[in-house]
Amino acid sequence: MTPDNAPLLEANQLRVVFGQDAQATAVLDNFNLSINPGEIAGLVGEPGSGKSTAAFALLGLVRNGAHFEAGRVHYQGRDLLNLPAAELRQIRGNRIAIIAQNTRSSLHPLLDVGTQIGNVYRAHTETGKKQAERRAIELLASVGINDPQRRLTAFPHELSTGMAQRVVIAMALAADPELLVADEPTSGLDVTIQAQLLDNLWDSARASGSAVLLITQDLGIIANYCDRVFVMHEGTVVEQQAVNPFFSAPQHPYSQRILALQRREAVEDEAAAHPDRIAPPPSQALLDVRELRKTFPIKHSQAVVQAVDRVSFDVRRGESFGLVGESGSGKTTVGRTVLRLETPTEGEMSFDGLALHSLPEAELRRLRRRLQIVFQDPMDSMDPRWTVRQVIGEPLRLCDELSESARDQRVIELLEAVGLASSILSEYPKEMSAGQQQRIAIARAMVTHPDFVVLDEPTSALTPETTMDILVLLQRLQQEYSVSYLFISHDLTTVRFLCHRVAVMYLGQIVEMGTKTQVFDAPKHPYARALLAAHLYPDVSNRRVDRERTETLRGEVPSPVDLPNGCYLYGRCPNQKQRCRNEVQQWSVLDDGRGVRCWRVVEGEI
Amino acid sequence: MIRYVAMRLGIAVLQLMALAVVVFFLIRLMPADPVARLVGLNASADAYAQSERALGLDKSVGEQFIAFLGFGEGRGLLQGDLGRSWVTGEPVAAELMRSLPITVEVVSLALFVSLLIAIPVGLIGAARPNGLVDRGAFMWGLFAGAQPDYWWGLLFILIFAFTLGIAPAPLGRMDPLIIPPDPITGLVLIDSLVQGRLDIFVSALHYLALPVLTMVFTVSGAIVKMIRQNTARALNSDYVLYARACGLSERATARYALRAALTPTVTLIGIFFGILLSAAVTVERVFSLNGVGQYSVRAILDFDYPAIQGAVLAVAMVALLVYLLMDIAHAALDPRIRE
Repeated sequence: MTPDNAPLLEANQLRVVFGQDAQATAVLDNFNLSINPGEIAGLVGEPGSGKSTAAFALLGLVRNGAHFEAGRVHYQGRDLLNLPAAELRQIRGNRIAIIAQNTRSSLHPLLDVGTQIGNVYRAHTETGKKQAERRAIELLASVGINDPQRRLTAFPHELSTGMAQRVVIAMALAADPELLVADEPTSGLDVTIQAQLLDNLWDSARASGSAVLLITQDLGIIANYCDRVFVMHEGTVVEQQAVNPFFSAPQHPYSQRILALQRREAVEDEAAAHPDRIAPPPSQALLDVRELRKTFPIKHSQAVVQAVDRVSFDVRRGESFGLVGESGSGKTTVGRTVLRLETPTEGEMSFDGLALHSLPEAELRRLRRRLQIVFQDPMDSMDPRWTVRQVIGEPLRLCDELSESARDQRVIELLEAVGLASSILSEYPKEMSAGQQQRIAIARAMVTHPDFVVLDEPTSALTPETTMDILVLLQRLQQEYSVSYLFISHDLTTVRFLCHRVAVMYLGQIVEMGTKTQVFDAPKHPYARALLAAHLYPDVSNRRVDRERTETLRGEVPSPVDLPNGCYLYGRCPNQKQRCRNEVQQWSVLDDGRGVRCWRVVEGEI
Repeated sequence: MIRYVAMRLGIAVLQLMALAVVVFFLIRLMPADPVARLVGLNASADAYAQSERALGLDKSVGEQFIAFLGFGEGRGLLQGDLGRSWVTGEPVAAELMRSLPITVEVVSLALFVSLLIAIPVGLIGAARPNGLVDRGAFMWGLFAGAQPDYWWGLLFILIFAFTLGIAPAPLGRMDPLIIPPDPITGLVLIDSLVQGRLDIFVSALHYLALPVLTMVFTVSGAIVKMIRQNTARALNSDYVLYARACGLSERATARYALRAALTPTVTLIGIFFGILLSAAVTVERVFSLNGVGQYSVRAILDFDYPAIQGAVLAVAMVALLVYLLMDIAHAALDPRIRE
C-alpha cells in the first residue's frame, strides 16, 4: 500500500529513443511528471514536442521502432517498465486508460464498435458477450451517443469524427479507470462539440473521483478544465504549476512565450473591441443578398444537400462583414456563391445595383475586377511554377489593358502595400513562409482595386503570431483602398478583431445577425450563445467548469441531407419547446436592429 | 447482396459478349489463310473452294458473324454452341470441357499451396523484420522471380524426375497406364475421390507435383512480399497499439492484426489466379498437360478460328467468375467496401 498523499502515477527521468545507434533520436528526454489521485492535470506542448509518445509511455508502451532507454514509470509503487506482461495488461485499459489522439485510426477498421468496446471490457472483467454488449450500450449512452443500441453495429468509417472520438472515450472508460490519459481528445472538432465532450469528461471524472491527464496544445482548454499544468517542450517537462499561478506568472521562458502568443489575440481583441478604434461604417449597401439558397445534388439519388438556406444579408461600402459558423454551416458556400463561383439555386443578389444572380457570363467577367477572393491555403490557389510577379500580375492581365511597365508598377505598389519588398518579384511563392504566401494572395486580390473581397478563412492555416499580422494588414488595406470584406471564419477572435457586423450560421441558415457588440457581448439565439460560450479563453478567472453551463448543446449536428422539420437546432437546443419541433423558424428583426431566427427570442422568453 | 451479385453477373455476361465480338473480328484481321492451312498449298482450286465453303469462309464477314452469334440457320453463341473445331471436327465446347479442368486444377492447386507457404512466411517476416525468415524470403523472391517459369520447370524435371527419380516424368496429369475416371466435374482429383479411386487420386497428385511446384516457386515470392507488407502495416498501426494500450491480451491483439492483414489477401487471390492462368501456357507445355493453355496455342498455330474463340471465352469466363467470388468474399470481410 502507498500512503494517501503519494502520487498515483509518477514518471522519472524517462528517456524514449526512436531508431538505433547513429540514427537514434530521443523523443522524450529527462521527462518527469506526476499525477495525484483525483486531480485533473494538463500537459501542454506544441506538435512534435513528444506529447503522444509521453501519453503511451505513461502506460509503459512505445511504438514499434522505439524503446525506453532510461527512467522509471511508477503506478502506485509498481514499476510499469519491469512488470510481467500479464500484470501490465491488468493495469492498461483497466487502472490507467488512454484516449488516443488519432481516434479514427485507433479503431480497428473491420470490427464494429460494439465488439471493440466489448473486447476491452471483457479483457478486464469475467463477463460474457451479452453482458459486455449491455455495458457497451451503457457506455455509448454515457458519452452522449444517440440510439446507442443501433450504433453498436456501426463500423468506424461510418462515424463522424466527433462520434469516433466518443467511441474511443467510451472504450477508455469501459473499466472505470483511476487515471485517464486523454491525448488531444478534441483535436479536429468544432468548438461546440469540443465543449460538450470536455464537459462530459470533466463531469464523469469528478463524479467517479478518477484522475485525468489532459494533453493539448490549447491553453484555453488547460485554463478552463485543469487543476495543474505541465508544460512540455522538446521532449521534456519545463514547468509544472497549479493553473492559477501559472496563468498569472509563468516561470519558464517557453511558458511565457506560448502564453503570450495565445493571449495576444485576446488582448489585441480587447483593444479592437473599443468602438472608436474603427470608424463606423457608412450605411450604403454594396452587396445585397436576399433569400439565397444553394443545394447540391447527390449522385444516384433524388436527395439534395442543402448547403445554404434562405440567407439574406448586406455588406456596406467600406465594411467588414463577418460570417461565423462551424464546419458544414455553409459559410464557405455563401462566399463562393456571392462571387458567382457557384450558381445560386434560388434567391437574388445585387452588387452595386447590378443583378448579380442573373448576370450574363460576359458581363460577369468584366465585373470580376471588382469582386475578388482570398482563400484559406494560399499555395492551393497559385501555380507553383509562377513567380511573384506573374501571380500578382495575373488579374491585371485578365481584367485591365495595361502596358507591361504599368502593370509592373502596380504589382510593386501592391507588394509594398502588403509589406513585402519589391526585390522578391522574380522569386517563387512556394519557397516562402505561409505568412508571406498569404500576403501575396492578398496582394493579388487587391491589385485590381476591387470594391469587394471575400476572405475565406484567410488565417486558419497560420500561426497565432502571423494571424495577428495578417489581420492588422487587412484592416489597414481596408482603410487605404476603402474595400468591403466578407470575412468567413470559424475563429471567433479573428472575426471579433476585424468585423463591424457579424452573422452566425448554423446548418446553412443565418441564425443571428447584428453588430459585433450585439453578437459577441450579448448573443440571443441559443446556437450563437452556445458557440460563444464554447470558446475557451486562456483565462482562469472565468472557468467554464466553475459557472453554470446553461448554453450547452446536446448531440451531433444533423446531416444537411436530412434536416429537422422545424427549427434546425431542435434536439440539441437547451431552450427547446414542443413548438420548436415542427415550426419552421422565421427571420425576425428585433428592436435593437439585430435579426434572429428563433421564436422564443422574438417573444422575449430567452 | 443478391442484387449486387445479379448485377455483377449481368455485367460479366456483357463483358463476355463484348469480348466475343472483339475476338471474332481480331482473328479475321490476321493476315492468315486458314483454308490453305487445311487443304495444303498444292490443293486444286476446286478442293480449296469446297473447303472454303465447308468452313463458311466463302460468306462475307458480316454473314459469318451472324452465324457465329446464332442468328442464322444453325446454332451459335446465343444457343451456347461454340461451333466445331476446323482441325479435329469435334465440338469446341466438348474439347474445352476436357482441357479447361486440367488448367483450373493446376492453377488452383498452385495458388492454394502458394498461400499455404506465403501466409506463415509473410507473417513471420513482418513480425521479425530482417530476421532469418524475412531475409530468406526476400532473396528467394528475387531469385525465383528473375527466371522464367518454363526454365524452372525444366530444371525441376532434371533434378526431381531424372536425377533423383522421386517425381514422375512429365507425361501428363497421371500415369499413362491408368484409365482416367469418368468425368463428373472434369477435375481428376475430385472425380477420382468421388468414385473411390484412391490409386488415381495419388497418381494424379504425383504427376501434378512438379507443375504445381514450378508455379508455386515462381509466384509465391511476390505473394510473400505483399502479405508481409500488409502485416507490417497492421502491426505498426494505431489500432494495434491502442488495443495493447487497452490491455487486450497478446492473442486478442494478434487477432486484430491478422484480421486486418489477411483481408486484402482475398484480392491477391484474384490477381494471382489471373497471373497463373497465363503462366499455364508455358508450364503445361513443359509438362505435357493438355490444358486450355496448350489448346489455345494449338488453335492459334492452326488458324482454328472456332477453337480460338472458344478458348478465349472460356478462360475469360473462369477469370471473371474468380474475380466475382473474391469480390463477394472481400465485401463480406471488409465493411468499408460494402456500399
